[in-house]
Amino acid sequence: MIYLDNAATSFPKPERVIAAISRYCREIGANPGRASHRLAREASAVVARTRRLLAHLLGGVDPSRIIFTPSTTVALNLALKGILHTGDHMLTSSMEHNSVLRPLHHLERLGITHTRIPCSPEGLLDPADIRRHLRPETRLIALVHASNVTGGLMPVAEVGALARELGLLFLVDGAQTMGALPVEPERLSIDLLAGPGHKGLLGPMGTGFLYVRPGLDLDTLWEGGTGSRSESTTQPESWPDRFESGTLNAPGLAGLAEGIAEVQERGLDAIAAHKTRLMERLYQEFHPLPGVIVYGPARRHDCVGTLSFNVTGVTSNEVAHILDTAYGIAVRPGLHCAPAAHQTIGSFPEGTVRVSVGPYTTDDEIEALIKAVEQILRFRR
Amino acid sequence: MSRHDATVIPTAPSEIDDLCEVVEVSHITKSGRKRSPVAVVREIPLTIFLNDQEIVTLLCTGAHVESLAVGFLNSEGLLQDRSSLRGVEVDQSRHIVRVSSSEDAWVAERLLGRRIITSGCGKGTIFYHVLDSLQSRPVEHHVALRVDQVRHLMGELNHRSELYRRSRGVHNCALALPTEIVLFRADIGRHNAVDMIIGECFLEGLATQDKILLTTGRITSEILIKCAKAGIPALISRSAATSLALQLARDLKMTVIGYVRGGNMVVYAGGEHIEP
Repeated sequence: MIYLDNAATSFPKPERVIAAISRYCREIGANPGRASHRLAREASAVVARTRRLLAHLLGGVDPSRIIFTPSTTVALNLALKGILHTGDHMLTSSMEHNSVLRPLHHLERLGITHTRIPCSPEGLLDPADIRRHLRPETRLIALVHASNVTGGLMPVAEVGALARELGLLFLVDGAQTMGALPVEPERLSIDLLAGPGHKGLLGPMGTGFLYVRPGLDLDTLWEGGTGSRSESTTQPESWPDRFESGTLNAPGLAGLAEGIAEVQERGLDAIAAHKTRLMERLYQEFHPLPGVIVYGPARRHDCVGTLSFNVTGVTSNEVAHILDTAYGIAVRPGLHCAPAAHQTIGSFPEGTVRVSVGPYTTDDEIEALIKAVEQILRFRR
Repeated sequence: MSRHDATVIPTAPSEIDDLCEVVEVSHITKSGRKRSPVAVVREIPLTIFLNDQEIVTLLCTGAHVESLAVGFLNSEGLLQDRSSLRGVEVDQSRHIVRVSSSEDAWVAERLLGRRIITSGCGKGTIFYHVLDSLQSRPVEHHVALRVDQVRHLMGELNHRSELYRRSRGVHNCALALPTEIVLFRADIGRHNAVDMIIGECFLEGLATQDKILLTTGRITSEILIKCAKAGIPALISRSAATSLALQLARDLKMTVIGYVRGGNMVVYAGGEHIEP
């Protein structure tokens, strides 16, 4: 099987990730922070190491400001619902994932409003549009770092600087950029950064995080046991315990540490260059093909390793089915949980065929995809 | 390849006897029971090979097996280019048809009979087999029909089948212009009869876009898709149409008329092409 669905989750996982999860389950097994015996101490050390490695990857941020979550979606919910209050207004883009749009829809019932700034048909945001949609009650800008549909990168640095200038908080959805390129919140003026452990960072599913800039507080969305200050029935004030009630996914975090280590050893720049080269090749082959529509920015250097396309006259679901059944190629069709993004680029409600590569994707695999699509085009009546 | 390279089993009236067997049966009527001979239509398993690969076994009368095999393969997307057809060999004793072609059918062979399981995310398709979806396009030409022509054609379809009159065991099918039937076939399977017509059109290079398919069988999605892929824009049946066939007919802009009996008919789709 040729796996080209890395935007959903990266695969394969490095052996060291699998080994770390296995070692945790076989040799440690204890609940981190819940006792002082040797195994519990080892468990806590595993979680702390993962937090340190991630903090280092984020440009040397304070590890205590990293809250582990089961996914980017949970992290985004925590950020949005923990920061915004009745009467607040926020800005976002028309390229967001449902992990932002659905919480915002829910928050409308609480009197929290938002404006979706339209992006270009390529799916790009013009930062100048932000000023035009400002309101006195605007508190936050939430922006996807790279579209999970087109792979197009958003102007996060410019928007971050503008948010600072305007006194707004800036939340970034790093689902597609963590492990794909350097993401340093302090350098990019990001106040809140949500990200997955299981995509570009090569960890297992069930791992994610929310980074919150020091000095910024947010409400808890769930409370409970943290293994700290157990004498009190109120939630502890200390970070990250305050936001990590309930048992953490320690085996997963053990694996995530090795995923981060793998990414750092390979080098973010090298991984990004590899993916860009593969996607550039795919774009150059697909773009001139009659019967193929490619979406997103033409400059693939402005993208992560994700590309959307359609074959005219055939639904994306059918193309994906053929690629799977006849060629053993795994891609993701449809709307990718991002209906607004598809409306923006003109592929709603049909959706697109999304190809997303990882650090282990080879030239031969991209070549196989190109040949398969050419064959489908010839076969279509 | 010449048609003469292949062995064809004819169905001229003189050959009807070959397609029937006479068996002794008990006839029960209001006046009692009596033993008498009755003609039953022949049923044989016919196995189709494409380039030495076994594709399918169809149950059929054994008539027109060459066009049946070619029509089936064409309908399933395995044989699309007439110039690539190298030969059709019929082994009558073993009920085998071997079709050889230089066409690359790699994709079609892998997709044959595979149902589309969609993710439920994004617009799906009403086709259930991906090959059908890839090879069906909305029709570009329509056949204008008058009601009296429809009645006449269906009358002709019923009148033509000596095999049906003899055995009561086959479906009749024909390719027709509004004014006359140009090709008639009958088989125990309504799909087979359609495939024979499609195969004949493929082999002889007959135009389909100006013609109508007549059938005594129900108009199901499979029959409609066969016509869509062959470029036949209209179907007329003595029987009813099914829901999925009509959904597809609307998408593919095809004309469907059913239940043509006793001068009446039901226009299911494409009524704008039917004149009073």
